[in-house]
This record gives sequence, C-alpha cells and structure tokens, in this order.
Amino acid sequence: MKQHLYAFGSLCRGEIDELSDVDLLACVETQQQARQFDSGRFSIYTRDRIRTLWRQGNPFAWHLHFESKLVFTSDGKDFLQELDAPHAYEKAEEDCARFMQLFEKSLRSLRSTSDSHVFHLSCIFLALRNFATCYSFTRGRPIFSRLSPMQVDTPVPVSPDVFNVLVRARVLSTRGTGKALTTGEVSMTMQACPAIHEWMQSLSPSEVLT
Amino acid sequence: MSEFNNRIDAQRRILRLVNASRDFKEELFGLSSGALERWARVNDYDEHNPLLVLLKQAAAKLSFLANKSQEQITDEYRSLSDEVASLTEQIRVAASNFSF
Repeated sequence: MKQHLYAFGSLCRGEIDELSDVDLLACVETQQQARQFDSGRFSIYTRDRIRTLWRQGNPFAWHLHFESKLVFTSDGKDFLQELDAPHAYEKAEEDCARFMQLFEKSLRSLRSTSDSHVFHLSCIFLALRNFATCYSFTRGRPIFSRLSPMQVDTPVPVSPDVFNVLVRARVLSTRGTGKALTTGEVSMTMQACPAIHEWMQSLSPSEVLT
Repeated sequence: MSEFNNRIDAQRRILRLVNASRDFKEELFGLSSGALERWARVNDYDEHNPLLVLLKQAAAKLSFLANKSQEQITDEYRSLSDEVASLTEQIRVAASNFSF
C-alpha cells in the first residue's frame, strides 16, 4: 500500500527553540494502515481525507502545501505536491468569530474559577494563535507559526513574558511537559487579556469588512 | 457553537470536575496523554486508578489523547456522543467519592 511521510511545521521553517515539536505527517490509504502509526508521534491522515481538506481550502491543507517536506515515499511520488494548490480559504470571518468565542469563554472561566487556570490559559493561547493564523489569510500571507499572533501585520499587544506564559500553558496541557505556572505568572497573564480581546475585536474580519 | 468548541467545553467540564474536587499536588492540565501521565505521576496514582481510567476513556472519545490533531480550524469533528456525557457523570462521581 502507498505510504508518504512528511515533516512539516516549525522544523520546515527552521523555527526551532526549546518548545518546538517535530511535526510528522503520515499519508496512508486505509484506516487499517493508519493504525500502524503511533498517533502520539504522527498526524495520520488517509489520502481521501487529505483530498477533502484540499477541496475545502482548509488552513491545514494550506499549511501542508506551504510548509511540508517529503521524507519517505513508497512509490517514488510526492502525493501532496501532485495535489497542486488547495482551494481558496473562504471561512476566515467565520473561523475568527469562532476562536473569539473560545477566547471569551476561556477568559470567563479563568476569571470565575480558582482551579484549572493552566487549562484555561492553554485554551486562550489556542484561540489566539488560530485567530491570528485565520486572520493572516485575509492579509495575503498565511502564517502558521506558533508565533503567528506576534508576526501578523498588527502584532498582539502583549509582552514576550506574557506570550511565553501562554505558550507554556499550551505545552503543559497538550504535552504535559514544562515547569508549572506560578500564581504570579497566571495573574500577570490575566491582566493582559483585555488588551488581547481588544486586539482580536479590532482585527476581526467581520469588523474590518464592514 | 461549533463542534470543535463543544469538544473544548466537554474537556473543560471534566477538568473542572477533577481539579475542583480536592487539592492535588499538581492539578490536571489537560486530557492529552502527556498531561494525564504527568498528573498520575506527580500525584502517585497507578494506571489502574479508577478516575485515571475514566479520564483516559473520556480523552479517547474526545480525541484529545493524541496531541497531533492538526485540524483545529475545521468544523467536521464527530458529534459528541451520549457516551461522553455518561463518562463525565462517572468522573464526577469518582472525583467526589474516590478515596485517593
């Protein structure tokens, strides 16, 4: 059965730091073939699913189109390259609104509870990063980096320390690695959240387009 | 509300049930396999701990065990099943009753 393995993400951008992960993609033909791979190490997709993402113009398809490199092919071909460019991404407005909702809900949870602060901050980072990536499409230069909120044309107005706390919360939640956050770090980041919210509102495509 | 945000909501509910139930040496940070392993290790729970078993089941249903899901910007996740609601209720009971 055909099998194509790719590296993608920060490794392909040369954007390596102590928090960088190695992103590997396995493109397979069947679900049975998919089960051979460790889902902790690989993003595993059937070729049909990849084709669907391409047809939809999904941001992940664009991510792979721009930032993936073939590392193994079972048939001498480059499956992703042969797909050409994905369909245009047309849901930036809808997706930005969705990530703004996630941000707002996570912030409410952060303010109203005395537990699970790392998780709430992790969701705030997820919302912030994905919002910035979706927004970047509307500016003609999609940015897939974890640093996308700092790299868009109007960077999020937070200090590197605050941004680093958000990244650490995300890594703690998704990988379980890193130093736990201190009360002071949580408090400092909470104080920066209104500015993040205002930034999201000002860049929201639905606001910009009207 | 999108299906993706619904899954995050479900994860949030479960984490709150666990973390609000008592003072852990370190609270649960997420439902990824890495976060669950860390929580179990720091708090000295073995792999048969009933709450940990339930949490892993819920994480698998919600597709959060692997941190490699790249499709955060799509709305085609499987609908949350009644099974997740049932597991959440079992976690609530286990978190409030289980003697650690």
